[in-house]
Amino acid sequence: MLDLLVIGAGLTGLFAAYAAARAGLRVRVIAKGMGATHWHAGTIDLLGYLPGEQKPVADWVEAVPELPAAHPYRNLGVDAIRTAMVEFQRLVAGAGLPYESAAAGPWFAGVAGGSGEQDGRNSMLISPVGAPRPVYLAPAAQQPANLADTRPMVIVGLTGMPDFYPTLIAENLCRQGHRARGATVPLDKLTARRDNSPLQLARLFDEPAAQARLAEMVADVAAGERVGLPAVLGLHRHARTCAHLQEATGARAFFEIPTLPPSVPGLRLDTALRESLAGQGVRVETGMEACGFGTDGRRIEWVESETGSRPLRHSARNFLLATGGILGGGIHGDRCGRVREVVFDLPLTAPQARSQWLRPLFLDSRGHPVFQCGVAVDARCQPLDESGAPVYDNLWAAGAVLAHTDPIRERSREGIAIATGYAAAAAVARDVSPPPAADN
Amino acid sequence: MHTVSLHSAGMSLDACIKCNICTSYCPVSQVTERFPGPKYAAPQSERFREIGQPRSPDASVDYCSGCRVCNEVCPTGVRIAEINARARAQMVAEQGLSLRNRLLGRNELLGKAGSLAPRLANFLLHNRLARRLAAALFGVAEQAPLPRWHTEKFTRWLARTDMHRLRSDRKVVYFHGCATQHYEPFVGMATVLVLEHLGYEVIVPRQNCCGLPLLSNGEFGAAERYHRRNVERLTTYIEVGYPILGSSTSCTLTLKEEAPELLDLEGDAGVRALKLATWDIFEWLRERQEQGDLPTDLHRLNDEGKPFTLPYHAPCQLRAHRIGKPALDILAQIPELELRESHARCCGIAGTYGYKVEKYQIAMDVGAELFGFVAAQYAGLEASSSFACTACDSETCRWQLEHGTGLPSRHPIEILAAAYGLYDLQARRPRGGN
Ligand code: SF4
Ligand code: SF4
Ligand code: SF4
Repeated sequence: MLDLLVIGAGLTGLFAAYAAARAGLRVRVIAKGMGATHWHAGTIDLLGYLPGEQKPVADWVEAVPELPAAHPYRNLGVDAIRTAMVEFQRLVAGAGLPYESAAAGPWFAGVAGGSGEQDGRNSMLISPVGAPRPVYLAPAAQQPANLADTRPMVIVGLTGMPDFYPTLIAENLCRQGHRARGATVPLDKLTARRDNSPLQLARLFDEPAAQARLAEMVADVAAGERVGLPAVLGLHRHARTCAHLQEATGARAFFEIPTLPPSVPGLRLDTALRESLAGQGVRVETGMEACGFGTDGRRIEWVESETGSRPLRHSARNFLLATGGILGGGIHGDRCGRVREVVFDLPLTAPQARSQWLRPLFLDSRGHPVFQCGVAVDARCQPLDESGAPVYDNLWAAGAVLAHTDPIRERSREGIAIATGYAAAAAVARDVSPPPAADN
Repeated sequence: MHTVSLHSAGMSLDACIKCNICTSYCPVSQVTERFPGPKYAAPQSERFREIGQPRSPDASVDYCSGCRVCNEVCPTGVRIAEINARARAQMVAEQGLSLRNRLLGRNELLGKAGSLAPRLANFLLHNRLARRLAAALFGVAEQAPLPRWHTEKFTRWLARTDMHRLRSDRKVVYFHGCATQHYEPFVGMATVLVLEHLGYEVIVPRQNCCGLPLLSNGEFGAAERYHRRNVERLTTYIEVGYPILGSSTSCTLTLKEEAPELLDLEGDAGVRALKLATWDIFEWLRERQEQGDLPTDLHRLNDEGKPFTLPYHAPCQLRAHRIGKPALDILAQIPELELRESHARCCGIAGTYGYKVEKYQIAMDVGAELFGFVAAQYAGLEASSSFACTACDSETCRWQLEHGTGLPSRHPIEILAAAYGLYDLQARRPRGGN
């Protein structure tokens, strides 16, 4: 019998499964699809903005206590968040995709504003349209995009790659007071395709010949500036691609700017997680949509998933709901305005009338109620009913399905996923095998 | 005539959020520029396909192999592969069908014809000249791994060994499919031996092709006739509660879902009963295992005390069942078996896709990921004189695996039968009196 069945294969589910497996539990993951990791920039945004504030958070360790009391981060506390981040860094480093605080990268030594030490400091990196993005951890290739670095930049686009506009990015950066210009290099010698997705290009740049050609072209257009490229620098041989480029372009710093989906940095992260899970003997079954469950009143006994024929039953001692919020599919809103949690029909903190889902202004600074709704949990990440008691004794929830957070506005998506996923896994592990009594 | 209609697959396209995850994973669009990928071919182009419209707006959909990787990864449940299959059917309805596709769609007919004189058929089909001719005249790829007819059909073996077959109150129905009947009767033998070992009597009623090759070549009318005939023949058994078990993942998928859904037969009571009664053999064995009914007298597969390394590939056809990888759950019980799970997306062949001249190379390029995985499992192992093979639940995928890796490939049921001591894995025949 499984100790833990994780439902959902986004960052939350995969990382929680990994943490639980490392704690010695028998774990399996089922998911409807591939998870939202593929849409995201591949950075770990922990807390970029406090509710209602326009100014980005400089240090999340200081900002967390200012969050509303019900916020999942307040629930966990700064130490638990930090532990989860360290565990996450250990995982990705082991998978060959190291993440560091963007404010502490080795390249940053000596640059004004860089402290060199890793605390809760956020860095401002560059969004796909050249806007600043507050980020906590970044993969090596994105760290040098740090906007605290005042050296001039050239943003290099590729012909045949739609949806990446170097001039627009550069203009937006200049408007914020940075020195940047745009340039484009031709790809016609490398591919005949005119509609390359970021992923196709990343696969192309896994090839040494393409790497060399790109390095030449980049050296041609960069006049000593740091170089920003779309995040397509290799998929499976990313590290090698970066090393190759670094060598060929000399000491010049270069960095990746995330693109529209499919996001290659997100895919790299997803791959690192899945490979680590396979290494732990954890199976991830995709294409399985949870569609029912059985309970004895206090405990969930099984979850059913939809198949080509009869539903398939999954029994386990514990269940972790990591299905995502309204965007990821864990919460569904129908045409009448009812909002429900899709697997266990858990109580939601949600406006149940469609007229109250959204505020009239698209960019309202308070955000939209429907994106803030979710499942309320206790400090052990167990979903609570209206009276504040756990709904089921062996059910846990983590990630974007949680209430009292608005990850889009807070820029806290990955932080919530990692911190709550880890906390839930740790709580399950304590439940399955309680620590030995103090006297032995 | 089937045209694009209002159906569950088509309705699902509204759920598309344009995330491009499907395009990231589509193995075909990764290796060829002729296919732009699932998002463009299905949810995007579908909006421009209309009932009665003279021409399909996007002929590239013919390059979709139907592997369904896109369905599996789509986070919002868009039935991309089904939308593509319908678009292809519409193209067939408009432009007619090539003789080659008509032939490839009639696997069962070919199988029967060859079985009349298997040696002659093998000679005719497998010599160089014939293959070259077939390529030039019909567009059947010269190097593609065509199967060989077996000298004894599966049902003939059943009849010949009738006095050895188990009679029991506990009964199951076996749907063997064309490949087992004509090319790989030993897969059927292994299935029967395992089921009898569990104490079940195996009923093999008359049956015909599930119709999948017709569906994937867009011949929906003929496919519907095939499917209705199977429903007719199996209904009596379903009514008394016997499960319908299959060892061919594509046949069982067709009975469960492809035929009802693509042919708009979801409302038909008989079709629905068959859908709910059909099991993949390992899906059913896993259920027995969970009930504690699976015999545990499993022996190791090697004599020398060295572990037996077995790369296992769950074919896309099986993944499309959405039942996980039940063979892994069962085979894991075999002592000293080193199971290695492949995460490759597709072997490339995708039914009849890789047999077509213009698609052969695409299929091989798609398969490279899997062939590489298999090779990596033996890297560092000293070459062993003992038998080595891969395992895969689907017949055409096994043929492609053998073609791409040079190693023999087995159905997991053959592995299990061997571990029960019932079957010779290398020679592919029952042990003992059968
Ligand atoms: S079925 Fe396979 S080949 Fe066709 S679009 Fe989907 S992933 Fe691509
Ligand atoms: S994966 Fe699904 S939702 Fe995403 S683009 Fe493809 S069809 Fe649309
Ligand atoms: S799918 Fe099954 S029944 Fe259909 S042709 Fe293939 S083997 Fe025969």
